[in-house]
Amino acid sequence: MTEWAFDALLAGGLLGLAWQIVASRVLFRSVVLFIVFGLLMAVTWARLHAPDLALAEAAIGAGITGALLLSAYRAFLSRRGTDPGPPPVFPRWAAVGVAALVGALVGGIGWVVVGLEPPEQTAGREALAHLAISGVENPVTAVLLNFRSIDTLSEVVVLFVAFLAARVVAQDLAHAGPGDWLRASRNEPVLVQPLIAFIAPMTVLAAGYLLWSGEHQPGGAFQAGAVLAALGVLLRLTGRLRPTSEPSLAERLSLVGGVVLFSAIGLAGAGVASAVLAYPEGWEYELILLVETALTIAIALPLVLLFSGSGGLRREVR
Amino acid sequence: MTQAAFFSLVAGALSGIAIYGLITQRHLLRRILAVNVLGNSVFLLLVALARRDPDYVDPVPHAMVLTGIVIAVSATAFALVLARRYYSETGLTHLPEDEE
Amino acid sequence: MTLLETLTVILVSVGGLFFLTGTIGLLRFPSSFSRLHALTKADNVGLGFIACGLALQAESVWVAMKILLVWGVALIAATVSAHLIARFTLRAAGGSRRTPP
Repeated sequence: MTEWAFDALLAGGLLGLAWQIVASRVLFRSVVLFIVFGLLMAVTWARLHAPDLALAEAAIGAGITGALLLSAYRAFLSRRGTDPGPPPVFPRWAAVGVAALVGALVGGIGWVVVGLEPPEQTAGREALAHLAISGVENPVTAVLLNFRSIDTLSEVVVLFVAFLAARVVAQDLAHAGPGDWLRASRNEPVLVQPLIAFIAPMTVLAAGYLLWSGEHQPGGAFQAGAVLAALGVLLRLTGRLRPTSEPSLAERLSLVGGVVLFSAIGLAGAGVASAVLAYPEGWEYELILLVETALTIAIALPLVLLFSGSGGLRREVR
Repeated sequence: MTQAAFFSLVAGALSGIAIYGLITQRHLLRRILAVNVLGNSVFLLLVALARRDPDYVDPVPHAMVLTGIVIAVSATAFALVLARRYYSETGLTHLPEDEE
Repeated sequence: MTLLETLTVILVSVGGLFFLTGTIGLLRFPSSFSRLHALTKADNVGLGFIACGLALQAESVWVAMKILLVWGVALIAATVSAHLIARFTLRAAGGSRRTPP
């Protein structure tokens, strides 16, 4: 009973927030409520027994996306006052109709599929049954980095392409990212330096823990990469990292390192193991850990650079 | 009603709200927000379906959604860069095809 | 219900009450400073009560310590963000000369 009450409250919160996000008159409100929406989604994932997703959503969905949205909001605001924009051209009743149709379709698909007799043989059951040969104990990590590693490889490529495309479209540094870079100065609030001195090592530690523990419990490269990216956002905002238009050699290597290493191990699998993207027997755990470490950096760095709106970052001594 | 059925209905309602926002709102930032809500509703549907068999939790949809979350943030970041460039070139916050 | 469970329920409920008052303050108070006052005081204590209540239910001492660590990190983040918001509000109100830090 109490579980139902909690789920109902959660659903009510999600729907109320979603409505405020799309319909609120004040744009800033929509942006902030979207971040809250991401946090509630994280709680929902936890309720649906998906702790891996809860971690990723809290760090990426609410954290990084929120930072990106707020910095874009500021860019829209800075030129002139908020522009309410012209009224909608689409009649409201038609919009309500289409929305109701889509909602009924999505909800209907879910309702019907849930009602069907569950099949005996599913990919998930197969994955769970063969967990022992995957080299890791967390089934989600096993699917991501062994059984369906092609998806993960493609995903890192998508992230890299998004970064390249953003570099093509973005303007000079002054107009990209969270605004002009300011050197951390004497006028900086007194609490910022102690916060960074405390948070930076803690975050690196947490990311390493997430990466390592992803083998047997919720966590992994995605969550670790997102946590590291959050640290990068903090350092960029406080002026500890200076944006540059060109990435350094180390940054270039890190950006492509995940894809190159993953592809190389995957191609080698065609010769040494049974198929492309298969790991040789007995080496699964070591190779997955190696790939995940490269992926963590290959996920964190593009995310920070996308936020920073720059091609590279340099350490700036205060 | 099972938890899976309940949350797939919530996913349906969320997608309806997101589509409504996508159609009626014209500000680019609001449209990006609406697309993100839409994406989250699809994720919710997938994860709810992972729970439909009470015996076990299906890890495959979880892996798909985890991949999807990273793809969503990449796409959002790129969309925001495009929108910002468009705004600084034209001074408009909505697309020209939305004019009469 | 065992003694430990009763204690957890009491602690979490008290924490919830603190959150409730903090939120009422956030919604009803007139200025940024009074809202900050309500949030930073009530919510952090509320989170502490909830963390203590949940730590009692943890399966091992390590898990309990992790829960308390979450509280500690949240306290630090709340301290700094409250300071930054207050500083920004003060400067926006024209008080920049009186605020060296």
